[in-house]
Amino acid sequence: MAQAVFTGSFGVAAIWFGVVVFRTSSMVRSALALLFSQAAIGGMFLAMETEFLGVLQIMMMATEMAIMAIFMVMYMMDPGGLSEMDMTHQKRASLAAGVLGAFGALAVALLAGWGPVEVQVPAATAQVHDLGIEIMERSMLIFETTGVTILTAMIAATAIAIQRRH
Amino acid sequence: MVTLFVALAVGAVLFGIGLYGALSQTNLVMIMMGVELMLGAAMVNLVAFWRFLHPEVYAGQMFVLIVMTVMALEMAVGFGIATGRFRAKGSVEMEEARELKG
Repeated sequence: MAQAVFTGSFGVAAIWFGVVVFRTSSMVRSALALLFSQAAIGGMFLAMETEFLGVLQIMMMATEMAIMAIFMVMYMMDPGGLSEMDMTHQKRASLAAGVLGAFGALAVALLAGWGPVEVQVPAATAQVHDLGIEIMERSMLIFETTGVTILTAMIAATAIAIQRRH
Repeated sequence: MVTLFVALAVGAVLFGIGLYGALSQTNLVMIMMGVELMLGAAMVNLVAFWRFLHPEVYAGQMFVLIVMTVMALEMAVGFGIATGRFRAKGSVEMEEARELKG
């Protein structure tokens, strides 16, 4: 029961900060709200006894959102949100799509037969060990492909961003 | 079973919020934030499935690692496009963008 309470509490925090991302007019606050939302998701992972992924999520998102905040200050016309600019469009259709998507996913979660639930989970050290074995054995090709994809994305992002010579 | 439903419900609501954000925002960086929330929701579901349905199969955790990588790549390429767009047009407002060229 304690696990459900902690998972739910972190979940409510993730949802609340997720809403704040699109409610505040300050872009810096938006980036920080997204950081807290993703950190709360990391907290959910910890509550669900997935320690390695939880810590990884919190560390990765802290770095990612810090970089995002810098880019927001660089590129936004009004990063502080002082002039209360409206930067939205097709609000009603977007809201309908969001509500429909959420209710669709909720319906699947409630109506699908998930089968028996596992109570026991491997210890944190065993999880890290077994995940390492998974990466180095069965999922080696996926892991290598991910590495090449990261390299490709880095080159592509740099190629797009550099100033062109005319 | 309760925790599985709690996690799936949180994932569903986060997905809805992310979808709303990705569709309603006009700024490229804010659109990326919506996509990040949707990917976060997918990760919550994946971890819940791994933990409560198949903790012996580590492909579930592997999948989460892949989604985390996709999030980082989406940010990198998105900001690359934002930088290129800002150089060319002086703004990253997608209302004004009809094509990605220049």
